[in-house]
Amino acid sequence: MPQNEHIELFQKRYGFRMDYQERQRKKKAREHKLQSKMAQKLIGIKGKIFAKKRYSEKVQLKRTIKAHEEKKTCKKEDGKVPEGAMPAYLLDRENTSQAKLLSSMVKQKRKEKAGKWDVPLPKVRAQSEAEVFRVLKTGKSRRKGWKRLVTKVCFVGEGFTRKPPKYERFVRPMALRFKKAHVTHPELKATFCLPIVGVKKNPSSPMYTSLGVITKGTIIEVNVSELGLVTQGGKVVWGKYAQVTNNPENDGCINAILLV
Amino acid sequence: MTSQYNFKKIVIVPTAKDFIDIVLSKTQRKTPTVVHKQYKISRIRQFYMRKVKFSQQTFHDKLSTILTDFPKLDDIHPFYADLMNVLYDKDHYKLALGQINIALHLIDNVSKDYVRLLKYGDSLYRCKQLKKAALGRMATIMKRQAQSLQYLEQVRQHLSRLPSIDPNTRTLLICGFPNVGKSSFINKITRADVEVQPYAFTTKSLFVGHTDHRYLRWQVVDTPGILDHPLEDRNTIEMQAIAALAHLRAAILYVMDISEQCGHTIEQQVALFESIKPLFANKPLLVVLNKTDVIRLEELNPEQKALIQGFINDDIPVMEMSTFSEEGVMNVKTEACERLLSHRIEVKIKSKKVEGILNRLHVALPKPRDGCTRPAFVPEKVIEKRLEKGPKIKKKTERDLEVELEDDYSLDLKKNYDLPADFKYDVIPEFWEGKNIADYIDPDIMAKLEELEREEELRVESGVYEKEEEEMDDEEKEIHRLAGKIREKKAIIAIEGRIGRSGGAPVMPRAGRKRERSVSRLRSEFEELGVDMSNKSGAHFSRTKSRSASRPPIKKARADSAGRVSSSSRVTPRDQSGIRNVELKAKAKKMGHKAQGKMNQFGKAGEADRHIAVKMPRHLYSGKRGIGKTDRR
Repeated sequence: MPQNEHIELFQKRYGFRMDYQERQRKKKAREHKLQSKMAQKLIGIKGKIFAKKRYSEKVQLKRTIKAHEEKKTCKKEDGKVPEGAMPAYLLDRENTSQAKLLSSMVKQKRKEKAGKWDVPLPKVRAQSEAEVFRVLKTGKSRRKGWKRLVTKVCFVGEGFTRKPPKYERFVRPMALRFKKAHVTHPELKATFCLPIVGVKKNPSSPMYTSLGVITKGTIIEVNVSELGLVTQGGKVVWGKYAQVTNNPENDGCINAILLV
Repeated sequence: MTSQYNFKKIVIVPTAKDFIDIVLSKTQRKTPTVVHKQYKISRIRQFYMRKVKFSQQTFHDKLSTILTDFPKLDDIHPFYADLMNVLYDKDHYKLALGQINIALHLIDNVSKDYVRLLKYGDSLYRCKQLKKAALGRMATIMKRQAQSLQYLEQVRQHLSRLPSIDPNTRTLLICGFPNVGKSSFINKITRADVEVQPYAFTTKSLFVGHTDHRYLRWQVVDTPGILDHPLEDRNTIEMQAIAALAHLRAAILYVMDISEQCGHTIEQQVALFESIKPLFANKPLLVVLNKTDVIRLEELNPEQKALIQGFINDDIPVMEMSTFSEEGVMNVKTEACERLLSHRIEVKIKSKKVEGILNRLHVALPKPRDGCTRPAFVPEKVIEKRLEKGPKIKKKTERDLEVELEDDYSLDLKKNYDLPADFKYDVIPEFWEGKNIADYIDPDIMAKLEELEREEELRVESGVYEKEEEEMDDEEKEIHRLAGKIREKKAIIAIEGRIGRSGGAPVMPRAGRKRERSVSRLRSEFEELGVDMSNKSGAHFSRTKSRSASRPPIKKARADSAGRVSSSSRVTPRDQSGIRNVELKAKAKKMGHKAQGKMNQFGKAGEADRHIAVKMPRHLYSGKRGIGKTDRR
């Protein structure tokens, strides 16, 4: 029975066919024909996938060709001066004076104060009540329409208990209750899955804020104790605000950017 | 307990990218593809939930087949578990399978969450986005498993090429230093084709071959060479040999090279023996001295002989052989097999299972009636005669002749023929002087023939063969004569019909054949038969009154000497009427054939046959299109 590396052993003992190398070479030479045939023949979704793959391949090819060509051609120097480069006689100067430093610090602080509520998404589309709530008909003959079903994602907090169903006006279904959000740190460019502490403000309406409805642009508070941030005073930061950047009801998850 | 010794049935593990492609394209093919925003919301939800669930099911199925196909190291024989640990690293293997398991559960959870969310989707757009998110998440989970999948595929490929060693059957295990001649030995006794080369570690893994002894099948396992250093320093190749030594219950053949051509002295080989001695516990052991064609045991110097003697003192049998000249190889095999067999029988007897068999066996011996013995009786005369005859001359058999002549032997059955020497090898003819030789084989054949003829004559005389003849009267005779004539005529017509039938040429239909049955023909045929037709003017077959009101002049049909009318011969045949020249005729013929071909293919009776066998062939009225829409059928 063929055991272990029987294929390599056979090749070692008996070698290859007489025309093996030629056939390999010819097969490789024919490959571009197969590619072009596929590119012409494939239609529909497969065609699109193939075209995308092929496009990225071509881009790589063009880049390597260009890089090779650069080596061959001898270009004249542009005479571009790199940033921060200074002529030799200016090297020993002090660039900013003390006064300038102080004034720039003050200006910075003022700017920070003014921009305290500068958020990544300043303007968001307002959600009307018809969008966020759906009428739930109740009663024996389904005539009463005072109940509303929330159609957007919401946050209810731990220890939440519904009001008695008979008196409950706003129904928040369990499937649409989320506890965690994927929060991105804007500078570190890293994303963490952090538990939500609460909904701070929903830009569309304060009623939504009180209900805990989370839509795009909502400011939420997240528990950042995982990140291990420490204030200047030595205290551990455990809650930070973040703004929601996607439509959670369409994606099934809450993506937010941390407001630093 | 499912112990597999054949790992060739593991399913192929695709790469992460291929895995995702397979599942997504399967989802696209096997679920409905069309949905519009004006459908009922429940229908839209159902449509998208089906897609999410189908993808999850497919992922689940494929991943779980992978998990079940790969052998669990705890469930297989410890030999294989150890071997796989040596080759693939148990931890890495378990981790990879664990990761796949985790991915499986994650995908299940994703599907559950998104199906729950889909229940609250109130527009097509929202449901579609949720389905996209679900499938995308599943795909991301699979993308993260790329490394594990790649590793498992490599493991599978290597596993499928492992030799199938049965750990429970009779096995001979060959071990020793590299280059001592283990692979040559196994090549000699089995049909395993193991590579033999002068450099060390030619054999890099276990090889198995099979041999026969006493009508039983024996496995012979060849191991890579082992060097003498502690267990921690051993590399993967040596560890395979150690795994085999540790777990297989086999007879061990420790092969030594007494000519020291392997590059290690006898002292080193004995030292290695001592260091791996613990692995030989409870196993029949045999020390084999190889390469005796170069140097024999007696020619060694006394120190080396003393070392070998040490083995003999320890009750370990030592045998010599040479795989090059093939002396002693068979003896070694026989000795090893015998030792293993007796060892296994001993173990079996000690075990409990033997009791059950022994209890069922009973050898019955007849009880002696009295004390006197009754040996076989040979009369004295016979004994004397036997002595007279002398010792039995052993006839030389064909087999002895074959063994003697070896290659030159050929079976010659004609050499014992009872004929003079120059006739023995002649070819026997079949005919001689116009007569069959087979007829004359019997020497009394002429006498027998004469007797037969005499008997026959007697029979004829006595009238055994006489038949009774009936008397026929005139009527019957007439009937007989007429019957004969009718038969004759029938035969003639049949023959004429056969001659008249001409191959595949088209036959004119009956209506086209004009004037076949004419009065003149009738008249002539009846005249032939001898009927008088002269005064049959008032007969029904002849026209008495013409049918038209005005009586046009009766045209007398031109008749030839036989009375046959020749008008039918003047009408142009249908395939020539209306055609100007020969080329057009050929063209018309061709067109006719072409038109008929399709009708014939569908079995249609003619142009007017519009029967449709299958009104709704399934391949046209069902199924999805490979590409495009199925708006109209």
